[in-house]
Amino acid sequence: MRRDLKTIQEILYRLITAPSGVAEGLADERALGCDGLRGVISEGARLSAEDRVDIYASAYFYRIFDVLKEDYPATLKVLGETDFHNLITGYLIEYPPTHFSITYAGQFLARYVETHPLTERYPYIADLARLERALIDSFIAPDAEPLSSETMRSIDPDAWGSLRMRTHPSVLLLQASWDVAPVLRSLEEGRTLPDDPASGRFPIVIRRTNNRSFYRNAEWAEFEALSLARQGTSFGEICELVDAKTSGESAATIASLLARWLADAMLVASD
Amino acid sequence: MDASEFPFLGFGVGLRRDHYLHVLENRPDMDWFEIISENFMIDGGRPLEVLGAVRETYPIVAHGVSMSLGSTDPLNREHLGRLRELARRFKPAWISDHLCWTGVGGRNLHDLLPLPYTEEVVRHVAGRIREVQDFLERRIAIENVSSYMTFSDSRMTEWDFLSAVASEADCGILLDINNIFVSAFNQDFDARAYIDAVACDRVVQFHLAGHSDHGRYLLDTHDHPVRDEVWELYAYAVRRFGSISTLIEWDDNIPAFEVLAETADKARCIHDETVRTKADRDATRSENDSGNSLSAHHRA
Repeated sequence: MRRDLKTIQEILYRLITAPSGVAEGLADERALGCDGLRGVISEGARLSAEDRVDIYASAYFYRIFDVLKEDYPATLKVLGETDFHNLITGYLIEYPPTHFSITYAGQFLARYVETHPLTERYPYIADLARLERALIDSFIAPDAEPLSSETMRSIDPDAWGSLRMRTHPSVLLLQASWDVAPVLRSLEEGRTLPDDPASGRFPIVIRRTNNRSFYRNAEWAEFEALSLARQGTSFGEICELVDAKTSGESAATIASLLARWLADAMLVASD
Repeated sequence: MDASEFPFLGFGVGLRRDHYLHVLENRPDMDWFEIISENFMIDGGRPLEVLGAVRETYPIVAHGVSMSLGSTDPLNREHLGRLRELARRFKPAWISDHLCWTGVGGRNLHDLLPLPYTEEVVRHVAGRIREVQDFLERRIAIENVSSYMTFSDSRMTEWDFLSAVASEADCGILLDINNIFVSAFNQDFDARAYIDAVACDRVVQFHLAGHSDHGRYLLDTHDHPVRDEVWELYAYAVRRFGSISTLIEWDDNIPAFEVLAETADKARCIHDETVRTKADRDATRSENDSGNSLSAHHRA
């Protein structure tokens, strides 16, 4: 029985991504005629039609699995190979890749982990995955010319208040419920992973400077100031917000924050 | 097909992240680099900066893995738009992708799956290639993939299918010698018959890579040195197609850059030797032929 190309591709897609493997996928497959898979795929002396599809099924999973291991090294380290493998198996069923670039294959992993049973043992794992994803997103965020100290110095200080600025596209702000930054840091530095991180509210700033992604915990005043700047605002409004968040030390705080943001290429001029 | 659209670039290697720093700091002696297009179809960051710096010194070719020319889904306009933008910015010598499908129903398998070899599929894929070429305003090259299955509905050989698609779409062929070798083993055909039969005037580039031997089948893994049998097949292809831009692919277990450079040099040596031998043989044959015709003339 001849099938059109679309039907053939849909059958193969279902078999290759079948959650329990090609054999079980075949048992559930209704679009195959009495010839079964042999009616679609030719058999050979060394490999059956099912063996052949199985090669693609294996390649599908492991290609994405290997990419996600690279993208989420701390999540992998915390969970271990077996739990991470099982996590990704479930993730690909729930969130099969739709983007043309494999870079985005893991973009929903943190969302998936949030409700996964593994969070009972590792309640911070979704925040850790979210931080790792943010580093990737920051790494490939659009380019923009950062504001420099020289540019700021060239502007009349009286005009600073009305100077409009926004955060660089690579600056991402994450509110975590667990203190996951030290977990990631331990992994990067080859140290033993800390015991379960503290819970609470942890503002994390992610940025890309000189084409490398960085992250750190921030003070709330800085985090909220950057949240304001993300939408594009005036320097005067940032000063007002910091002033309201700090008690009597706002000038020093603002000067310190501004120096840091400029040094880290976190601000761009806003039209 | 205008050959000037696919000039002979010499012998290159794939530009991979592991070698960014080495390439930028040492500017090694290399004819050209091939990039995986999708790795650079991003908004910003280091990969684009690196590519800009590499492009200052070297020609590049943009080789994609996600165009899904054989899919029954509509062509992905975001993909094509980003590819066109990449091409405008970095001016690759040409653009290539695979004769395959990578997904259906809006979902992506991130793999290169083969197609049934039928006239109907030839028309389907060729139409989509023409659409891509119109969008990109340039001719592209399509690559034969390694395959682990063939379809019961197929009515022609892979090489006839590849040639027919290239002819109907009026595009170039990127002939992956390792893929021919791998598929020949997996599908029980003669690799040399493939090379003998594929449309000669369409072949614009070669790929060479390593593969893994799994006993009952070969897997195109790009994680080993090029096997001796593939080198022999490459020499055979050079004898038929002549001087064709050649690229070494190595995507996993990536060795030091010097190993890739040595592999590209080996391809150059095989090419040079093969072309020289062929020229000598042709010259000898030509002399013999003219001697024969002279004799014939005298006899007349």
